[in-house]
Amino acid sequence: MSDALYHKFVKRWEEVTDLPPQSLGPLTPYYKDVVRRLKIMPWPVLLVAAIIMVTCIYLIVGSTISLIVSILQKGF
Amino acid sequence: MRPFFVMAYTLIRAGVTFGQTVIGIIFRPYETYRRIAMYGKLLELMYIVVLLALYFATAALVKTSLFTPFLLTRKFLVLTGAAAYTFIIAVSLFWFLGKLFGSSGTLRTIALGWAYSLVPTWGWFFLTSILYVILPPQRTTRTGGMIFSFVYLLISTVLFLWKIILSFLTLRFGLKLDFIRILAICTIALPILALYSLGMYRLGIFRIPFI
Repeated sequence: MSDALYHKFVKRWEEVTDLPPQSLGPLTPYYKDVVRRLKIMPWPVLLVAAIIMVTCIYLIVGSTISLIVSILQKGF
Repeated sequence: MRPFFVMAYTLIRAGVTFGQTVIGIIFRPYETYRRIAMYGKLLELMYIVVLLALYFATAALVKTSLFTPFLLTRKFLVLTGAAAYTFIIAVSLFWFLGKLFGSSGTLRTIALGWAYSLVPTWGWFFLTSILYVILPPQRTTRTGGMIFSFVYLLISTVLFLWKIILSFLTLRFGLKLDFIRILAICTIALPILALYSLGMYRLGIFRIPFI
């Protein structure tokens, strides 16, 4: 193994072992699946999640949604 | 002349790194936060401060009814001071709780990570202040108003979820802890920050916390 490749490997190894592994018992595969989708280009997942959440809010509160937005708009 | 060029070069380099990091947290947040934790420099914070100052200046203009220099400056200083204070409180709180839970992270890493997690916060506040001028509330329940409300909430939710991801990564890479411990820290920290935010609300500084 060349020196450059070896150093690259060591650097990557140090990066990976820098953090403790995540373990959530039986939920670990689900956690890893969600995290895998969020590590690179998370926007499609975030957008889908936001559409679901906002639709749920709309279904629950109906037209009161405009009042929520009015409050938020004054909130800065 | 030489120290001047060295300083200018250092500032430009920090600026380029800041730009790359902001693009990174948009497209590759995990990898970018790893890089922030390992190689991030405190000088990059300066550019975040500039971004925030830009927003606070805009907010002072929008929020102050009388355009007198005294009132504008006072509003700007109050917002800037409160945001700086909130940043120190949040970073210190997470660092202290992290130490209680056996963290081996450094204050520098948490400060840098938390500062970059202010980018979505900045985005939301800036967007809201601009929209306040273009389309001031109250929102109506007509079709146009409802569509606007839906889109506004959608953008707000996306930015909020992005903020959660970046905050989690700050704690993950900054404190070097696992998910369960991060969850425990958040369970303790969030009520404290909520109380703090309530105090800010009562003082009339931030209605929605600038965290």
